[in-house]
Amino acid sequence: MSTKRKQRRVLPGFGLSMGYTIVYLSLIILIPLAVLVLKASTLSLADFWQTITDKRVVASYKLTLYTSLLAAIVNAVFGTLIAWILVRYKFFGKRIIDALVDLPFALPTAVAGIALTTIYSPNGWIGQYFESLGIKIAYTPVGIMIALTFIGLPFVVRSVQPVLQELDHQYEEAASTLGAGSVQIFVKIILPAIFPAIITGFALAFARALGEYGSVVFISGNMPMKTEIVPLLIITKLEQYNYGGAAAIATVMLGFSFILLFLINFWQWRTAKKHQVT
Amino acid sequence: MGISILDVSKRFGSYPAVKNVELEIPTGDFVALLGPSGSGKTTLLRLIAGLEGTDSGKILFNGVDYTNKTVKDRKVGFVFQHYALFRHMTIFENIAFGLKVRPRKFRPSKSEIKEKVFNLLKLVQLEQLADRYPSQLSGGQRQRIALARALAVEPEVLLLDEPFGALDAKVRQELRHWLREIHQKLNITTVFVTHDQEEALEMADTIVVMNKGMVEQIGSPEEVYQHPVNAFVYSFLGRVNELKGSTLSESTDRITDLADGTVGYIRPHEILLNKFQQGDSLPVEVSHVHTVGAVVRIEFKPLDTEEFYGAEMDIEKYKELGSVKKGNILYAEFKNIVVFGKETETPHVLTDTNRLSAAIH
Repeated sequence: MSTKRKQRRVLPGFGLSMGYTIVYLSLIILIPLAVLVLKASTLSLADFWQTITDKRVVASYKLTLYTSLLAAIVNAVFGTLIAWILVRYKFFGKRIIDALVDLPFALPTAVAGIALTTIYSPNGWIGQYFESLGIKIAYTPVGIMIALTFIGLPFVVRSVQPVLQELDHQYEEAASTLGAGSVQIFVKIILPAIFPAIITGFALAFARALGEYGSVVFISGNMPMKTEIVPLLIITKLEQYNYGGAAAIATVMLGFSFILLFLINFWQWRTAKKHQVT
Repeated sequence: MGISILDVSKRFGSYPAVKNVELEIPTGDFVALLGPSGSGKTTLLRLIAGLEGTDSGKILFNGVDYTNKTVKDRKVGFVFQHYALFRHMTIFENIAFGLKVRPRKFRPSKSEIKEKVFNLLKLVQLEQLADRYPSQLSGGQRQRIALARALAVEPEVLLLDEPFGALDAKVRQELRHWLREIHQKLNITTVFVTHDQEEALEMADTIVVMNKGMVEQIGSPEEVYQHPVNAFVYSFLGRVNELKGSTLSESTDRITDLADGTVGYIRPHEILLNKFQQGDSLPVEVSHVHTVGAVVRIEFKPLDTEEFYGAEMDIEKYKELGSVKKGNILYAEFKNIVVFGKETETPHVLTDTNRLSAAIH
């Protein structure tokens, strides 16, 4: 007979909490997605293949992926900068800026899209100056990227900020007593410590951008082959009562997203593991 | 390298952390900055390192003004209380850090760095740990690595901020001994901060006792222990009993030499306890007896008072005394009361037992 007693846990039983987790995830995520794939499978294989390899669809995949990726990269850089300023400096209006960061979450995305379009259109406040330089922002992929950057901004800031806050000054002091300059301290001491958080924020911003619809449709102009994003194509199919086609495109997009996010998470896990917590 | 601290002050907001400190540290000296928490000892150490800027005063290294030099340019070795090892680097990379960040002109070659790191690992006796990460090491090992890392840049001054504060008693004892050895071997000027008087007395050549941002006394361990300049130093170095003149004389009518308001001090081992009245000893009631290794501490209070005192004796003496229990009546002889005059703060020692008995009568 075993005399070993089970270690006490905070939540009652692994079985119960795991069961709850699975039920919850199933109802919210797995079942809806399964239905999506099921719907896509109502198409014949030939139809399915034809739908997803349609030139217009392929162009939209490419556009969505690269604009999302670039927007996430821009956010990773500038989000980190904003987090840095919010953590390391004291200045007037800091709390207001801190609150401002969350606004893209709260604003209906369509409102954001219309506002951005108004400003960046060829005769808008900012767009007119770029227009005179020969650069078009609204109704081009650049406009899409601006919209995606806008909606993804909070992710990087909010994931880097707490980590930066926790980062003890003694590491920087230790590095400076060893003769490191400020650039060396940032690159060799601070960046490795906050990098996992930057990747987390990057992954979230990227994922959000892949599925974004509301803010993009206004600023993109929705020109087939040029500025048509995947979510828009799906809506178009739905409006034509082509549920199978919409599901097919969505399924492929889902596959892409899952693989990319899985890879990013794996990367994040590896860098975080290297930077173990003592 | 010798360090001169000339009239240095530092405030944090309105709180004066270090006030007009004057301190001369000769080359090769092993100095302890000793004081209670909040006494400014860590701030003074950080001022020497350049981690804080002075508000006024000067800091000279070998006679050269270093007051406005950056941390980077001071080339001091600094060991932090919580080690501050870089968690994402292996032990090897941690120790090599100071060499790798040098400008290319002064940077040693890879093989030189490797040789140096392994020499340092040998010095701290942890060669087998080069490829581990800090999280895989024990506290004592981490502190050794932190020291090796500080020594890698060949500093001429080594500064340690409560180096053993976070370690358990046994490891602390080992490391004290080991740090002394390293100091003897390398003979670099070393300053360490501690709140542990035993640590300071045991390790340092010179002790700087600090309180409320000011230096109270500077001297060898023997000097500060045997000849404390004021009540603070006396009571901070070792256990101490306070004899309040007024209350004691009121309750016993015996100590009259201690004027109102002045305080006499006596170390526990300077109180003799006997079972029978001898000369002018004071009858006392035992309230607690505890044995700590080879030392027995007896807590007692003079009859009819509520003031508790502690006496200490070695276990042999205790056996001679016979068994003592709570509630027993013993006779206490105060051998060596020290009185610090209020204004002058110079000690006035009542060593003569006859005089003391006169005082008690």
